[in-house]
Amino acid sequence: MVTALVKKRRKALFVFILPGLILLTIFIILPFFMSFGLSFTNQRILSRIPTKFIGLRNYERLFRDDLFFTGLKNNMVFALIVVPLQTMLALGMAMVVNKNLKGVKIFRTAYFMPTVTTMVVVSVVWSFMYNPQGIINNFMQSITFGQWETIDFLKNSKWAFPSIMLMSIWQGAGFQMLIFLAGLQEIPKMLYEAAIIDGANKWKQFLHITLPQLRNTTAFVLISTTILSLKLFDQIKVMTNGGPSNSTYTVILHLYNSGFTKQKVGYASAMTVVFFLIVLAISILQRSVLKEQREV
Amino acid sequence: MKKVLLAVIVLLCVSVVFSATVEIDMWFHSGRGDERNVIQDQVKRFNEMQDLVHVNAVVLPEGSYNEQVQAAALANDLPDLLDLDGPYMTNYAWARFLRPLDDYMSDELRNDLLSSIIKQGTYQGQLYALGTFDSGLAIWANRNYLEEVGARIPTSVEDAWTKEEFMTILADLKALPEIDYPLDLMFANGPGEWWAYGFSPIFQAFGADLINRDDFMSADGALNGPEAVEAAEWFQSLIQDGYVNLSPANDAAVLEGRAAMAWVGHWYYNAMKDELGDDAVLIPMPKLGDPDSLYGGQATGMGSWCWGITNSSENPYATWLFLRFIMRPEEIVNMTDANGAVPARKSASLLSEAYKEGGPLSLYVEQAGKIAVERPVTPAYPILSLEFTKALQDITNGGDIQDSLDRAVEEIDWDIEDNAGYPMD
Amino acid sequence: MTTQRSFKRVKIIDKTVGYILLILLALFFLFPLIYMITTSLNSDERDIVSKMGSIEAFIPTEVSLKNYFGDPNAEDPNLTTNKGVTGRMNFGRFMFNSVFIVTCTVLGGLLINSMLAFGLARFNFKGRVFFVSLIVALMIIPFEAIAIPLLWLVNSLGWMDSYQVQIIPFMANPFYIFLFYQFFIQFPKALEEAALIDGAGWFKIYWKVALPLSKPIMSSVAILHFLMQWGFFLWPLMVTRGEEFRPLPVAMQQFFGQYPRDWGDIMAFTSMMTIPVLILFIILQGQFVNSAKSSGIK
Repeated sequence: MVTALVKKRRKALFVFILPGLILLTIFIILPFFMSFGLSFTNQRILSRIPTKFIGLRNYERLFRDDLFFTGLKNNMVFALIVVPLQTMLALGMAMVVNKNLKGVKIFRTAYFMPTVTTMVVVSVVWSFMYNPQGIINNFMQSITFGQWETIDFLKNSKWAFPSIMLMSIWQGAGFQMLIFLAGLQEIPKMLYEAAIIDGANKWKQFLHITLPQLRNTTAFVLISTTILSLKLFDQIKVMTNGGPSNSTYTVILHLYNSGFTKQKVGYASAMTVVFFLIVLAISILQRSVLKEQREV
Repeated sequence: MKKVLLAVIVLLCVSVVFSATVEIDMWFHSGRGDERNVIQDQVKRFNEMQDLVHVNAVVLPEGSYNEQVQAAALANDLPDLLDLDGPYMTNYAWARFLRPLDDYMSDELRNDLLSSIIKQGTYQGQLYALGTFDSGLAIWANRNYLEEVGARIPTSVEDAWTKEEFMTILADLKALPEIDYPLDLMFANGPGEWWAYGFSPIFQAFGADLINRDDFMSADGALNGPEAVEAAEWFQSLIQDGYVNLSPANDAAVLEGRAAMAWVGHWYYNAMKDELGDDAVLIPMPKLGDPDSLYGGQATGMGSWCWGITNSSENPYATWLFLRFIMRPEEIVNMTDANGAVPARKSASLLSEAYKEGGPLSLYVEQAGKIAVERPVTPAYPILSLEFTKALQDITNGGDIQDSLDRAVEEIDWDIEDNAGYPMD
Repeated sequence: MTTQRSFKRVKIIDKTVGYILLILLALFFLFPLIYMITTSLNSDERDIVSKMGSIEAFIPTEVSLKNYFGDPNAEDPNLTTNKGVTGRMNFGRFMFNSVFIVTCTVLGGLLINSMLAFGLARFNFKGRVFFVSLIVALMIIPFEAIAIPLLWLVNSLGWMDSYQVQIIPFMANPFYIFLFYQFFIQFPKALEEAALIDGAGWFKIYWKVALPLSKPIMSSVAILHFLMQWGFFLWPLMVTRGEEFRPLPVAMQQFFGQYPRDWGDIMAFTSMMTIPVLILFIILQGQFVNSAKSSGIK
């Protein structure tokens, strides 16, 4: 009897896992390994010269490439600032929107709008806003009674990156809010009711019920947002293209420039591998700290 | 009976083979609407007027045209005929994607072409691409403002303003109340080939260049030498002194009267004509540099989109038939009337109202003959363009000039080295 | 009694402040969308450009749908700027392509990703930890890094310029697998044990027990996956050629690459592009019901 059950389990497990596994292997793992292989060659997109094996030369070059390290540094700074801020904002928004207030649906929709709007529009509108003649400068002028010196935000090497950070937080908060919302929905109301009877105030409820129950959700949000912020590319490409003076340069932008624009596929592949290892290390660290709660 | 049937079948097959229309795939970039309309019309008429060749035209968005073509090249999926931006053609020719056209061309055609068209399309002695038009780069100005500040209007290339004259005129224009920024450098178009096309002539006028053209192996000295630094300083000063808006909202400042001059290519002609009519005047490139320098102190850009037949085409001769069609003088004029560009054939210029001797755009032809410098014909061109643009952008944002230029040279030299100097064997 | 009244007062102030904050936040998040729509309705291109930086940008001078559908009453309706989005391109086709491609990707993805996550979450097998770590590792790989090998791959499969090339490679997504996983591992064992005792098969457990309980997360994933694929540009650019299989983001390039930029048309295009996602979001919003149903677990 037991063996039959075990066999049934095994078969079920296969059925569940196989389709996804096949797709992941063919369309992500396989190309990644090909990339890995390419990193040891001098492959270019278009070339007269046949591709040949060059060993670790790409990797040597990479360690002397200061643009790569600039990108890495910028990515780290971005992650360290944006991840906590955006997560806290998203959690706050999710909690507000989860209440049974009148008209909460409208607010939920409103908060999600930045995420829904395509990156192109978002970039364009924020570019207008950051323009020297744009709304932000005008606004600052009016509230400081003319003391504010006009800043061309996106062309100023000190302000460009923070400007992009602000926009990214604005755009990404909705994404996380949705996930937190789903997580909040899973929390049984009974727990709160019991706590209120016990006399716990809102803050205590938050600390002892909401947060622990959201543990897995929070873990996901933090890990995925960290990874996403390390993969920062779209906004940068459209708004500043890495400038001014490389203050907004990121690793993936460098990857794109090297692999597509400069056609250095082999070199870009080496960069992919190194980037992958770095981010993997960070994720592993994160996961061990944010140990997930398992029932099975 | 069987024999008759067999004969009929054979005859049918043979006639099908011989009367089968050859299908040709053609890609082109969707430029300004007018250009696109002309090409689509040409395709339609070509298809209608004969049965041998049928052209399937596919329009691809311009913004990412290069990436799409590259992806297609990677997948060995290129069409029979496609258009490419002139200087990028060399890269494809070197990578064995294009077929030489010399064998198809008649002497009559070759002699009738502008020398710049031939120069642009030739790599290592073979012609790989033909353009139906060449570009023109100069200053479109509003006559009223110039007269208001008492600026003289040059009558020829030799008569162009000197640098000092130019600066005085700019300063005077800036003082006018209607003017925000006297000169529009078309920054609203965003980075892209415009920066390399529009601004490398400035460097060339000062005696610098994108690369050493003696062997095309290095950019050291050309792009980061004292002449280049001087050019960059001048460029930076235009912005810092308030003559140019670094972040304009659009590229219609001259059309709207907020600027007096536009440093721009031929494609601006129709807009200028529509908006300013007789007040639109074409000013030749100023003499920014020393007459003894590399290019004589005065330079302008040239080169534009051109057509190439791919090596993977199964019907190159049929493809050539279409290309030959759009190279007919009347067809060239159809195109240049629509986009304001310089006709590729001398005979076509005679047919064009704008370009014939004394016409409003004949200055472009004069410049083409006297001061036009082709963008370096080398497979390394994409890198040259990219690094030059990046360096110049950093410079306009206030970056250190020597550092930016040195960095660009480093990247360029690295790329050339990586490709073993782009050998031809 | 005074305590009761002041308690009420505090509550009212609390609520008002709360609402004010909510509204301010809402405006903060909404303004680009408002800008997009008002600009798209402004038929005077000059006006759009001159007002770009100021608050007036939100107030169009001439309101019309010209940017969307063209202006048949214009002096020259064939002039490009008078044609509007639908006049300048085959918008309907591109919209259909995008909707079809993304819907297939997301629906297929919901099934495949949740199944994989279910298997990982509810079966304790050897190598499970490795597997989950593998999924997390796969989240790191940026698309740009595998674009070219993937291109070679699909080319050898003969999939270029088709629907399947834009759908199949993107159904399985490690982000959503991991997200589903984090949810499924929370469900108590009691749930399955009860069902198993009743003789139910694993698939039934998945389909009839786990999925219904995951409505909020399924909705979230549906919306987010949809969004991710909706704006996807690089890949369709590389694998589509003509108009037949081209999706919206690539079509939009047509406006963007051309100069002078017609902002009115661009905004009309993006407005039209945003509508399906909005509709999807509004429909799925109903799933986020703050009900007591989740207490059914415990």
